[in-house]
Amino acid sequence: MKWLHLFNANFRKEYIELKRYLPNTIALVVTFYIIFLAAFFGIMFIGDPASFDTNVQYSIVSVVFWSLTMMTMNFIGYSVITEATRGTLEQLYMSPMGVWKIMLTRIVSQLGLQSVIMILLLFGAMLTSGQWLSLNPMTTIPIIIVTMISMVGVSFMIAGLAIIVKQIQAFLQIFQFVLMGLVFVPITVAPFLAFAPFVKGVNMVRTVMLENLTLTDLSLSDYGVLILNSLVYLILGLVVFDRCEKIAMKKGLLGQY
Amino acid sequence: MEKIIEVRGISKVYEKRKTKEKIHAVRDVSFYVNRGEVLGLLGPNGAGKTSTIKMLCGLLESDGGSISINGLDICKKRLKALEHISAVLEGNRNLYWRLTVRENLEYFAGNRGYSRKQIADQTDKLLEQFNLKEKENELVNGLSRGMQQKLAIAVALLANTDVILLDEPTLGLDVEVSYELRNILKTIVREEKRTIIISSHDMPVVQELCDRAIIINKGEVVIDDRVENLLKLFETRAYSIKLGEQLSPEQENKLLSIFPLSTYKASSHETIVEVNLEHGQDIYELFDLLKEEGTMVESIDRITIDFEQVFIQIVKGGKTHEMAPFI
Repeated sequence: MKWLHLFNANFRKEYIELKRYLPNTIALVVTFYIIFLAAFFGIMFIGDPASFDTNVQYSIVSVVFWSLTMMTMNFIGYSVITEATRGTLEQLYMSPMGVWKIMLTRIVSQLGLQSVIMILLLFGAMLTSGQWLSLNPMTTIPIIIVTMISMVGVSFMIAGLAIIVKQIQAFLQIFQFVLMGLVFVPITVAPFLAFAPFVKGVNMVRTVMLENLTLTDLSLSDYGVLILNSLVYLILGLVVFDRCEKIAMKKGLLGQY
Repeated sequence: MEKIIEVRGISKVYEKRKTKEKIHAVRDVSFYVNRGEVLGLLGPNGAGKTSTIKMLCGLLESDGGSISINGLDICKKRLKALEHISAVLEGNRNLYWRLTVRENLEYFAGNRGYSRKQIADQTDKLLEQFNLKEKENELVNGLSRGMQQKLAIAVALLANTDVILLDEPTLGLDVEVSYELRNILKTIVREEKRTIIISSHDMPVVQELCDRAIIINKGEVVIDDRVENLLKLFETRAYSIKLGEQLSPEQENKLLSIFPLSTYKASSHETIVEVNLEHGQDIYELFDLLKEEGTMVESIDRITIDFEQVFIQIVKGGKTHEMAPFI
């Protein structure tokens, strides 16, 4: 029951802040839409006309996923930095629920809210390009959810580092381009990327959308790799976060900013 | 009396990043707090007060010793121990400025696992008690500093913990708000009988609210006693003597040689000698000195010392005092 109350409190806070910082939210959506437009017109003017439809569809999925990945993976890190700057981080650490639980409920809330924004972005992109993807929610949603677990894991790792290394913002800015590379590069080009977080899932969703597949069309080994990947990154993320918390408490870094 | 907090031999050493120089912020500090007691934790800047407070809250790990809150070791069972302690650590910075007053109260209670329904009555009561009812739907960034500070304390109270730690509750507030806050805290102390630890430089707050005071200096506890005992200790032998005329230079020199800590203030409209006597009978020496030249004494008043002066004298090492033993 306490988990539910914790989730309610954090969902409400995220929703209220999203509304009160509405210009920021709009700016974010517009930025991603402009990036999509750049990719779309790039393909239109300098791409191969024979593979125009496929390339545009590939770009739509990739841009939407890149934005979702960035928001998810940087979220807890930015959250920690913001809380430390505001002076509320130590107050969160006074909660008997534990900060990882607070952050987990926050990121789940954010994912819920961001998904709505992403769906709008997706439809905006499809409307602009005239290319309609097979969304197939019964297939894509389960894969996306499992993929997100690995993103949450990485997000915890980044947040852990943000607690002890306060100047992590510069890294986060560079990190978004690393994420871009991971999202855009097809796994067939670099199969080892299946071990990287979320890449396998993004590829599976992209394949489902572009080739109009269902859950049963994908192999069990694909699901096995996806689930294992997500669990490993989630556990690793929580372990790293916990270790970083302990270091911060030992060195007295929690309240510093 | 039941001890709700027991601190045994805690230490904290920081290392400077560049020079690797070790700084002993807290050295072998031990004390206890009884259930329902209001304790003042005092000390000059850099004395080790904040490190001690943070170790009490489980935000900083001690390098040695142990802290137990309601029988729970804060290092070993941190989250369980935090169910018994809440704190206001950075005053108005402890709040979300883009949330309203009520939303802040509800959010922090939610973070402790309470539903909005569970705390509804108490939220209303606190809003009334802190005179924030009219502002409940206003954003925190639009409130005055005093109101933000009151809200931060209300947030800590809403946690329903046995122990509340208030770090500088009146810092940066004007006299009026500080007085109002002091009265609210007095009511809470009287009505709720919770254990409260106040760390403050505002000595009237300590004198008015605290049962006991612990003074930390250079990382060590230098005093641990009841506030009334400390006031008594410093108060008894300080006198202000108003003279009918000025002292002669010889008398003035003699005064300062017999009573080196005395002060002599002579102006056109009054002449005052303030002495702090080691022993009660020393006053006769002062009378002899005045009698030599027939100096008239207009009045003798015992100086009422306040806690600020006690604090200064202790920190400056002007007085030593046996500490209450740690049992």
